[in-house]
Amino acid sequence: MARRLYRPQRRLSVKRIGLYVLLVAVAALFIGPFLILLSAATKPASQDVFGFPPDLIPRPPVADWFREAWTTIPYARFLVNSVIYVGITVPVYLVVSALTAYPLARIAFRGRGVFFMLFLSIMFLPGELMLIPRFLVMSELGLTDTFASVILPAILSSLGIFLLRQAFSQIPDEIVEAARVDGANEFAIFWRICVPIVAPTLAVLAILGFVSVWNSFIWPLVVLTSQSKFPIALGIAYLSGVAGTDVRGLAAGTVISLIPVVVVFLLLQKRILNSMGGAVKG
Amino acid sequence: MPGLKGRVVGQHWYTPYVFMLPGLLFYAAMFAWPAVIAIQLAFSDYDIVHPVRFTGLDNFVRLAEDPRVWIALRNSLLFVLMFLPLTVVAPLFLAMLVNLKLRAIQAFRMLYYLPVITSMVAVAVAWRYVFNREGVVNWVLGLFGAAPTDFLLDRHWALPTVVLLEAWKNAGLFMMIYLAGLQAVPSDQLEAATIDGASGWQRLLHVVVPSLRPTFAVTLVLSMLEAMRAFESVYVLTRGGPLDSTLTLGYYIWSKAFEDYDMGYASAVGLLLWAIMIVLAGFNLLVTRRRDV
Repeated sequence: MARRLYRPQRRLSVKRIGLYVLLVAVAALFIGPFLILLSAATKPASQDVFGFPPDLIPRPPVADWFREAWTTIPYARFLVNSVIYVGITVPVYLVVSALTAYPLARIAFRGRGVFFMLFLSIMFLPGELMLIPRFLVMSELGLTDTFASVILPAILSSLGIFLLRQAFSQIPDEIVEAARVDGANEFAIFWRICVPIVAPTLAVLAILGFVSVWNSFIWPLVVLTSQSKFPIALGIAYLSGVAGTDVRGLAAGTVISLIPVVVVFLLLQKRILNSMGGAVKG
Repeated sequence: MPGLKGRVVGQHWYTPYVFMLPGLLFYAAMFAWPAVIAIQLAFSDYDIVHPVRFTGLDNFVRLAEDPRVWIALRNSLLFVLMFLPLTVVAPLFLAMLVNLKLRAIQAFRMLYYLPVITSMVAVAVAWRYVFNREGVVNWVLGLFGAAPTDFLLDRHWALPTVVLLEAWKNAGLFMMIYLAGLQAVPSDQLEAATIDGASGWQRLLHVVVPSLRPTFAVTLVLSMLEAMRAFESVYVLTRGGPLDSTLTLGYYIWSKAFEDYDMGYASAVGLLLWAIMIVLAGFNLLVTRRRDV
């Protein structure tokens, strides 16, 4: 093999072990806090949560604190709420984004560039600054403390329109022309031909949408007053208020809230990671 | 450019607008209308209870004389200064690490990315266990003879701790952006440099960094905007304390609006933050444009 000429194998294997040690050390930095959380959530009452040196292995692991967190607050309710928020927001988000991005990529019309800039300007209207005026818009519409008030602001994002516009504009003209010759109207071309082609981009946006809705905290905190409509992240903040100094219950509740996102991530990680860099880089 | 050839069968002049109608409606209701309200409120003394009363430039006069705005502005700028090296430089090394051709490297990418997808609330809870007086960080520092510190309750340590949390949470995202950039670095240039006897550092400085210039532009803007609007982490970790040491502009706006119900004034501070962000983004755009040409 020609490659071997440049790389002495023996030194490489030592180097390789060193690199794995480094990789694992850095991994500890990133998952360490979650492991400490998990350890606090599974330690029996007889074992200290804190202390020097840190004692991370639960002996024996117990489920008490998960049960406690589950009953201290309406945990199941919060989880169901989050599923509802994700379940409604993400499909609507995908449809609206695709509909908006399509003409920006594939139809010639006056002011196309202006409309594109308009939607990109969303990037410069960050949610944090919109808290007050959106809260007032919601009260004007009579929607404060409703599921709709949480869902509506999440329907449009500049990233969604930007990525889908890219994807639509990369579809070869020949495919679309063939459909036109067959007499398909613009909506049929969009829905039956172009949308299936951009499915990978839609999948990425669905995952990103899921993560962002699942984690949303500040906006629901502003617009919701009834606990029965809280999403899970707000539930955790609520638990940290209710549980006060109960560090184990809080840890357990937090671990539960992480499970769905982590599972989805593990299942779809390849797609997320492969697309993320390219996505943000644009 | 596809689709730019004029009208075709099945298209009317209104076709693009029909497609964009839902998007435009959401834009109007959730972005344009609130933005107009935000600007109006900034010139009023609205407090939720009483009707909106316009007060001209009063809020901006008040803003100039409000010492806490200046504390918040200083903290936000400090936040940016500490945040930039942690998100613009450090993740490049992470990206180089996970760009190695090793078995199971994808698993490491995934682990480093994990904090990005978890909620700030959950991450903040986890960090309380780590940075607690009896937590792991103090234990490690204790091995070097340092006395334990309550990082989040200490006036000097609270802000750097919040910055560290934000940087840690976002590191994976910046890593992936760099990874995409690294994979576009021309490999023939790297090989040529290796054959010429360039060391790892020399290759990094003279080949990798120059070809990553557009990527740096993206990360710099993202990082600045992210730091400027830091709010959720402050809210869940310190509530702006102790003694306003973590009071950022974002948190100040929140507390004025939703704790003091001083919505008019909060909106004026919001406009200030908005202006700073636009200036920062514009400045970045200028700098990167000039270099690229």
